[in-house]
Amino acid sequence: MTDGAESRQRPSRRAPAPVVPGASVAGRTLMLLIAIMTFLSCVTLGAVVLIQKSALGWSAEVGRELTIQIRPMDGEDMKANLRTAVALAEATPGIGRAHALTDEESRALLQPWLGSDVDLTALDIPRLVVVEIADPRDLDLSMLEKSITTVPGASLDTHAAWRQELNVMAGTMVVSGLLVLALILVATILAVIFATRGTMASSREIVDVLHFIGAANAYIAGEFQHRFLRIGLTGGLIGGLAALAFFLATGAIVSTVLPARSSAQIAVLFGGFALGIDGVIGILAVVPVVAGLTALTSRLTVGRFLSQIS
Amino acid sequence: MIEFSDVGLHYGDGPDILKNLNFTIEHGSFHFLTGPSGSGKTSLLRLLFLSLKPTRGHIDMFGTDTTSLRGERLLDMRRRIGIVFQDFRLLDHLTTFENVALPLRVLGEREENYRANVEELLDWVGLGERMEARPELLSGGEKQRAAIARAVISKPDILLADEPTGNVDPLLAERLLHLFAELNRMGTTIVIATHELAMLDKFSFPRMRLADAEVTIHD
Repeated sequence: MTDGAESRQRPSRRAPAPVVPGASVAGRTLMLLIAIMTFLSCVTLGAVVLIQKSALGWSAEVGRELTIQIRPMDGEDMKANLRTAVALAEATPGIGRAHALTDEESRALLQPWLGSDVDLTALDIPRLVVVEIADPRDLDLSMLEKSITTVPGASLDTHAAWRQELNVMAGTMVVSGLLVLALILVATILAVIFATRGTMASSREIVDVLHFIGAANAYIAGEFQHRFLRIGLTGGLIGGLAALAFFLATGAIVSTVLPARSSAQIAVLFGGFALGIDGVIGILAVVPVVAGLTALTSRLTVGRFLSQIS
Repeated sequence: MIEFSDVGLHYGDGPDILKNLNFTIEHGSFHFLTGPSGSGKTSLLRLLFLSLKPTRGHIDMFGTDTTSLRGERLLDMRRRIGIVFQDFRLLDHLTTFENVALPLRVLGEREENYRANVEELLDWVGLGERMEARPELLSGGEKQRAAIARAVISKPDILLADEPTGNVDPLLAERLLHLFAELNRMGTTIVIATHELAMLDKFSFPRMRLADAEVTIHD
């Protein structure tokens, strides 16, 4: 077997082709499916991150303030009562500063509900004292509640009910989002199972050849797993990058295309669609998760297929 | 080396395909397995390849009773057996070199360690210039030579061939049989199933004849 063979120079070979061919119609279809699933997963995760961040922002913003409301009462000097309320608030431990809203500022707060056509100067409206908390740990809320009772018509609003409702609403949306995310991942797993079964059926000849040349089931499963990992990574990357582009484009549209007022309102709700570095990392983390799920699912499906035909 | 003792085989509730098989295949021997179509040649080859278990009796291979072999031990035993099919069973997306090297690749060997051996073997079977060609570009004879090279690259103790000359013209069939004879001369035990009796007259190897589910050996 050695005649003349050793002396001949061969050109260097390229890397050997994968045992399981990578490109096929089924493979491209699965890649597209995984890209779409990853996109949906990333958008859902991004929405969850946005809602959670906004809720935390709202809650912190609202939690840093208290409001003293003083209702107008016959025979009472509103200005004197406002000064007393400010003084009492600032004397309370943990309070940074307190200031009374002017008459104009108080009326401006009512304008969105009553419109600009109504003459509010004729109305005797309650006045507000905005109290800023310096350090929530030092705040003696019961002392403030007690001292404020000495001001006629005064009541203290800690915004606790608002914060609770806000947290419940945000929590519900986050849980719903995570549920949707889980369902998308389950749908992805099911799609990969069907795709793997289809691929195995169409690759039966390859499996048979590998069996009769002495390949172990673990080797065959590994080869198919590599193929599906490649498909999962590529599809996942496409979907993940598309989701990032979606959030960037949405942020750009909100800030440039929409009228300033609508844009400002959306910014109040969603913080300018800024995912932040943790949001971006979260979205990019979906890619290896989807790819890993694809590889693991295909390996288990292939393993079952091989044990059935062995 | 291989000993069949009272081996019988039937599929499901069907009749016996093989019965009362008692024979020995010695190391370094060459046997033609003959018999009409449907006589059970392929079933007997599958028993020899351990892809079927006998319904009754024992098959002893290389000193081991194969009846209870499972998992890794069965796989190790199978790796001592090379097999060639009539329809070649080359993987279409791999080159001739990659197809022939596949048995070594699945064992985890690195290409730099087996490349020279594969090239040498391909030269020996006359495919030195066709290494980078895919099966679709090979003739029937070239495909069968590639399939034979793949079957022997891992130096099996026994080489089985199921109608290896069925898809080639008579001249090429004779050349292929000479190739098997050459492999046998170098020490490989060979069993070739065929129904082309005219071709066999040119060779003096013993024949195992299957008829009525039983085998008789003619020297």
